[in-house]
Amino acid sequence: MTVLDWGSVCDWTAAVFLLLGAALCFVAGVGLLRLPDTLTRMHAATKPQVLGLLLVLVGVALRLRSWVDVGTLVLIGAFQLMTVPVAAHMVGRAAYRTGQVRGDQLVLDELDDHLTRSGPD
Amino acid sequence: MRTLRGIEWPLVGWLVVVWVLLWGSLTAANVVTGLVVAVVLCLVFPLPPLNLGLRIHPVGLVRFAALFLVDLTVSGLRTAWQTLTPAPLPCAVLAVRLRCSGDLMLAATAIAVSAVPGSAVLEVQRSTATLFVHVMGSDIEEARDGVRRLETLVVRAFGTRAEIASLDAGGTS
Repeated sequence: MTVLDWGSVCDWTAAVFLLLGAALCFVAGVGLLRLPDTLTRMHAATKPQVLGLLLVLVGVALRLRSWVDVGTLVLIGAFQLMTVPVAAHMVGRAAYRTGQVRGDQLVLDELDDHLTRSGPD
Repeated sequence: MRTLRGIEWPLVGWLVVVWVLLWGSLTAANVVTGLVVAVVLCLVFPLPPLNLGLRIHPVGLVRFAALFLVDLTVSGLRTAWQTLTPAPLPCAVLAVRLRCSGDLMLAATAIAVSAVPGSAVLEVQRSTATLFVHVMGSDIEEARDGVRRLETLVVRAFGTRAEIASLDAGGTS
C-alpha cells in the first residue's frame, strides 16, 4: 500500500484551492450587493475576485497537470493581473469625477482639493 | 505604416510567446506563423516608440513577486472580511507622492497598487508623480506606507540605477 499517492494528493489540494477561489468570488458578489457606493463596490468586484480567480487557476493546474494547460492558465492569470487595474482605474476615475462617491464615508479626501485648486494635468 | 526597421522586436517576441501558449504546443510551424502574425500586427497597428528605461534585477524581481503575492493574499482576505462584516467602512482618498518620476515606474507602481485589494488608483498626476489612491477601511498612514513600500519593491525590480539611488536618497518629499 502506498502511503503517499501523488495523484490524489494533487487532486485534494486542487479541490481545496478551487473551493477557496470560488468562495472568494462569492464574497465579491456579496460585496456588490452590500457595499454602499461605487468605489467600495469596485473594490469588492475587482479585488477578492482576482485572488479568487488565481486560486481557481492554481486548482485547475493541479488537477490537469499538463504543461500545455498550465501555459494557458498562466496567460489567463497574467492578463487578469494586467487588465483589472486598468479597468478599476477607469471606473474609479469616472465614478469620482461624476460625484458617485459618498462624502460621508470619506475620512480624508486629498484629491478634492487638488481638482478644485488646479485642475488635472 | 512603419517599415521593418521600426519594429519593436521585444514586443514581437512577447506576441510569439502568447501565440505559442495559446496554441498549446511548441512546434516550428506555430513559431513561424506566430512570427508572421506578430510582425504583421506590429506593421498594421504600430505603437508609439517607447523609451522604457527598463532594467530587470533578478533578486529585486523575486522579492517583488514574493511580497506582491503575500500582499495580494493578505489584503484579499482582509477585503473579503470587510465585505462580510456589517460595520460601516471608513474610506479615504490619499495623495501619495512617489520618489521616482519616470513614466514606467509610475505606471508599474500604479498597477501594483491597484492590483492589491483595498486600494485603487483614482487619478495620476504625471507632472509631480503623484498617485491619488482610494483606500478602504484601514489605517491611513499604514496605507500610505504601503504604497511607498510597493514603489520601493517595483523600482528595485525594474528601475534604472539612478532611480534606485533616488529611492535611497529619500526622494523629493
